[in-house]
This record gives sequence, C-alpha cells and structure tokens, in this order.
Amino acid sequence: MRRNWARLATAAAAAVVLAGCGLGGADTSSAPTQDASGEVKGKVSLQTWALKPKFTDYVQGVIDAFEKKYPGVEVEWLDQPGDGYAEKVLTQASGGTLPDVTNLPPDFALPLVKNGLLLDVTTADSKLADDYVAGGIDGYRYAGFDGVYGYPWYLNTDVNYWNTDLLTKNGLDPEKLPTDLGGLIEQAKVMKEKSGGKVFLMSRKPTLIDLTNAGVQTMAADGKSFTFNTPEAAAVLDEYRDAFKEGLMPRDVLTTKYAGNAELFNSQTVAWTTGGGTYISSLAQEGNPTLAEKVIPSEAFGTPPLYVQGLSIPKSTKNLPAAIALARWVTNAENQAAFAHLVNIFPSTKASANDPFFSKSDGTPSGNAKVIAFNSLAKAKILQPVQVTQAMSDIIDQQFALAISGEVPSQKALDDAVAKCNQLLNG
Amino acid sequence: MTHKRWFTPWLLVAPAVVWLVTFSAVPAVNTLILSFTNAKPLGGGQFIGLDNYTRMLSDDQLIDALTNSIVYMVVCLPLLTFLPLLLAVLVEKKLRGITFFRVAFYTPVIASAVVVAVIWGWLLNDRGLINGLAEQLGFLKEPLPFLTDRWLLLFSAISLTIWKGLGYYMVIYMSALGNVNRELHEAAAVDGAGPVRRFFSVTVPGVRNTMLLVSVLITVSALRVFSELYILSNGTGGVGGADMSLVMLIQLYGQGLTGQLGYASALSVLLFVVTVGPMLVLTRLNRKGA
Repeated sequence: MRRNWARLATAAAAAVVLAGCGLGGADTSSAPTQDASGEVKGKVSLQTWALKPKFTDYVQGVIDAFEKKYPGVEVEWLDQPGDGYAEKVLTQASGGTLPDVTNLPPDFALPLVKNGLLLDVTTADSKLADDYVAGGIDGYRYAGFDGVYGYPWYLNTDVNYWNTDLLTKNGLDPEKLPTDLGGLIEQAKVMKEKSGGKVFLMSRKPTLIDLTNAGVQTMAADGKSFTFNTPEAAAVLDEYRDAFKEGLMPRDVLTTKYAGNAELFNSQTVAWTTGGGTYISSLAQEGNPTLAEKVIPSEAFGTPPLYVQGLSIPKSTKNLPAAIALARWVTNAENQAAFAHLVNIFPSTKASANDPFFSKSDGTPSGNAKVIAFNSLAKAKILQPVQVTQAMSDIIDQQFALAISGEVPSQKALDDAVAKCNQLLNG
Repeated sequence: MTHKRWFTPWLLVAPAVVWLVTFSAVPAVNTLILSFTNAKPLGGGQFIGLDNYTRMLSDDQLIDALTNSIVYMVVCLPLLTFLPLLLAVLVEKKLRGITFFRVAFYTPVIASAVVVAVIWGWLLNDRGLINGLAEQLGFLKEPLPFLTDRWLLLFSAISLTIWKGLGYYMVIYMSALGNVNRELHEAAAVDGAGPVRRFFSVTVPGVRNTMLLVSVLITVSALRVFSELYILSNGTGGVGGADMSLVMLIQLYGQGLTGQLGYASALSVLLFVVTVGPMLVLTRLNRKGA
C-alpha cells in the first residue's frame, strides 16, 4: 500500500513538473488583439540591448521627446546587458512579460514568431514600406509566415580593410587590392613568399555568407531545411583548404570565431579583415591608433552582407497604439540619423538616403569607409539565413574547419553540417 | 530548559531542505523528465520515449566528448591526487622563506579560470611565447599546434587544470598532514625507514581519507570540465568540435531561444551517470582498503 502511495506521489510530482515545463502548444496567429489606431497614452515599455551607459543620453533624449509629443504617455526604458540577452528574452517570452517594444535582431525574433508571440506590424501599420528600406523590412519577413515582425531600426554591412604597411612591405600594391577570393589568394601567395610566412593576407575560414556569394542556395525556399551541401559549396571549401595547405593563412583560423579575423588584424598578423563602416574610427578611439593610420577600406567581395536590428512588438501588448507610436518614433529618420552620428550604424529609413553625412567622405580612410558602407547598403542582402542559430553556427564553423584543415573531404564536412543543422532546425 | 516540540528539528532544517528541493531536487527530476521529451524553451514539446537516448548512440560528437571527459579524468585523477600531496609534504617543512612557496603554489587557485585560460591561450598559440621561444632557440622549425590539434589542445587544457588545481589540493593535504601522528614518523625513522618508505608507509595511510575526498572532487570536476577547453578553443570546441567536453555539448544543444532542451537533458543525465560511476568505485575501493 505504501509503495502504491509512493508511485502515486511520483506520478503527481512528474505531472506537476511537466506542467511547469510548459509542455504545451502555442497560438501562432499574429494579428493584433486590439485597435492600433487608439489614442497614444498610458504606460509603454521599451527594451534595448546594451545601450547603457554609452548611449544613455541619446536614448533618454528620444524618450523625453516622445513623452513631450504625447503628453499622456509614460515610457519605461529597460536596457539589458549584452551577455545573456537571448536568455533574458526567453524568460520574458515564457512568462508573457516581453516589453511593449523590444529590440530583437531577426534571428531572435524568429522563434517568437513561430510561437505566435510577435505582432505582424503590417496589420497595424500599413505605411511600413513607404518609410523603411526594403532590405530592412525583409529582415523581419520569414519563410512560411505572412507579414513583417519588426520595425527595422539600424543597419550595417561589411567593408574590407587592409593594412597598407604590411601590403607595401611584402610586395603588394595598396592601389590594386583584391576584389574577389581568387585575387585574394593570388596576393596571399605573394605576401607569404615575401614575408617568409611571418604575416598573412587571408584571415578567416569561409562562412555561409561566402557560400551564398558563390551562388549556393543555403536554405530551401520554405525555410524548412538547409541545402548548402552542394558541389559548388565544396569547391569554395576546397579553395580555402588548398590555401590553408599552402600556408596562406595562420593556423589559428581553424579555431577563431566571429571577429577572430579582426583580432588577427589588430595584432598585425594578417593584412586583411572585414568590419563595419566605422571600423577605422573605432580602432583609432578604442584600440590601436597607430594601426588605424595604416588602414584603408575597399568594398566587400561579392554582395555585401546586410545586418539588421529592429524593434518588435509582442502580440500581447496591452497598449498597442503607444507601442506602435514608440517603435515608429525610435526608428524614424530623424532619430536614426542622430543615432548614426554617434555610432557605427546606418539608418533603415528611406529619407536618410540623401543625408550627406553618410554619402560624402571627408577624404580620410575613415570617411571613405563610411561612404563605402553606406553605398554598399543599397545592394546589401541578408546572406545568412535567419534560421541559423548559435548552435548551428558553431557546428558549421566546426565542420568547415575540418574541411579546411584537410582532415575530411569538403563534401563530407558539408553533408555532416547540413545533417546536424537540419536536426537542430526540425528536432 | 528543553523544548520537546516535534517540529523543532524540522524547523531547523527547513531552510536547507527548501533550498535543496528548490534548486537541486526539482531541477534534477525536471531534467530527467525533459530527457524523454522534445521540449524547447518556447512552444513546449511532446513525450518521445527513449528517442533522445537512442540519438546519443549515433552522435559522433558525443563519442568525442565522452572520450575527452574520460581522458581528462584518467590523467587528472592520479596526477592531482599525488602531486599536491608531494607539494604539501615539501611546503610543510618549517624552513626559511617557505611561505613564499606556499603562496606561489596557491596563487593560480585564486586567479579566475577564465583569465588564466586566456593567458595560457596567449602562451600556447602559434605566435605565443612557447612556440616563439622554441623557434628562437632552434628546437622547432614550425610552431606546434597546441590550440588546433585535437590531442595537443586536450592535453594543454589538462595541463592548465593540473597547474591550477595543485595549490588547491595542496592546502587540503596540508591540513590532513597536520593530523598524522609525528610519533609514527619518529618510530619508523628509529626502525631505519628512509623518507620514501616513511612517505608510503606513514604519510599516505595517514591521509587516506583525504585522498579519497580529493579523488572524488577531481573526478567530478574533471568530468565536468568546461572553462579550460572552451576558452583555449575560442569556444569552438576545437577543429570539428573534437575537443568538446560533455558540458560543452550540453551547452551547445541547450543554449538560446531554440535550444533542444530534451536532448540537452538526456546528455545531462548521461553526465550524471558517468560521474556517479567512478565515485562509487572510489568509495568501494576505500571501503575494501579500510
């Protein structure tokens, strides 16, 4: 009898715990539950990601101006630390406490969209396409889901950066920079020969962005499976493998992650890296002013990648009119331009296209880089599927490193990466 | 005055019990239950029986991670059990300036594991101090790939763990050595036993229980290694992820908004089983030897 009671208690405890785990279904509709055209008043919350303390004055200024424009409204600003933001959003989403306006990059927003937690902003705001650039809006469109799930906030892209000192010392002409992978490899051979293998030109292994640029379709159109294990993709990895075998890049690239190439560049081990539009000025202010003087920019190889940040609104917001107004206010051309004057970003608004601050250089390498980045945005695209999570990114990185090191054939590495990523995507 | 209310003992242990139940028992049971589901952080999941466990059988990364964790334990266990004891015996002597050595051996313990691993990363990379020095002195023509070769990376991490753990376990042994009866040493010396014989016949039996404790602590921490391998591999787990530990694998699958909590939980259950096994063996060995 006592044993039966124990079993019953165990089963009950399991049921309670299971219920606590949230093992249930999700409402995946994305329409608003209230009228968006009501009066803008009451409390509304705004969540940003790691903007305090550096941009406290800017954000507070934007909020103050919003409250001045709408006297009946009160904005609560929450800024979350850089580390652990995904976990914070997860906790908020599970607890139904997502702030009314939340900064979510497209890959963070996708799982929330899948679970019907975010608002399709086109259902509440029909003028989205009039005010924001298509690339920014596309960042918040997802295969298999109708609508747009965020206001594009700020954009960025990659620019190539070159260490002129290392180039000239090692027989290369800064006036004749490589414009594609083939050119990069050719010049990397010269650099290796002249430097005796002490410095390198190539600074990273390939990513999905390189495969997309090589014409590989990395994901099926329905967003339900990865498809980058093609012979064309294998050919790209083979090029890098041969370059690695020839000693054209440091061995460290096998285990460097995102921004690893910038670290190698900063230590002057390599003469090429990629970075955002104001990389040179950041280098001068925060890192290495001596190096900054030697750096010149050029356009990224192929189609430049587009990086988007945006503001999403949870479907469950209790103050939709104020949330829409606030998201639009923070992302309007004037406020975005002011933000872009402070930091390494570019506005997502069409009205900013004519701002001479972005389109005219002061003649310095830093000014040239900003203009190159701004002009690149016109043709930039999201080259890595937003479905790629950190875990998938790690697995792709691991498998590409295996292929580059020559330990496994490129096709096998790609097949393994696709199989594992599909398992993570659909598991 | 004596209180004989029946609930007094329960009241006294209640804070600890509540803490344990909330932060250990419930999460442990939850992990076990989740391991039979395909749960994700958002959107729930369903009961999928033993699927997560059968998936482990075909997970080549898991085989690598298990191998790494076991190699880690097999190397760390003897070295970190005996080397700190030897150090403790050395610094126990009351010599002039011995405090300096005690502090020097203990310093790595108080340094942050992350900071230490970053420094070791600088030392061991292709252009680091060790390769640079070896090349300058003509010992090497090409740098040794400490951080990109599967086994060199693993043994670099093991070396770091041992270097960092020596001082910690040394202090534990020092307190144990204080309890070894000095008369036994004196008697053994009178009987003609030299320092080595006295070490094995008097010191080691005298700190036997501490050795068991240290062994268990080392086993658990070696099987749960994370920081050293994570930082030395820049978070990549090495080329092809071949240097991941079990904990790194759990982190890989459990992280983020789309983490596979079910599979990560199954891996956690496996880690628990793998950790408990050697602990039981050590405890049994101790009982047999007692």
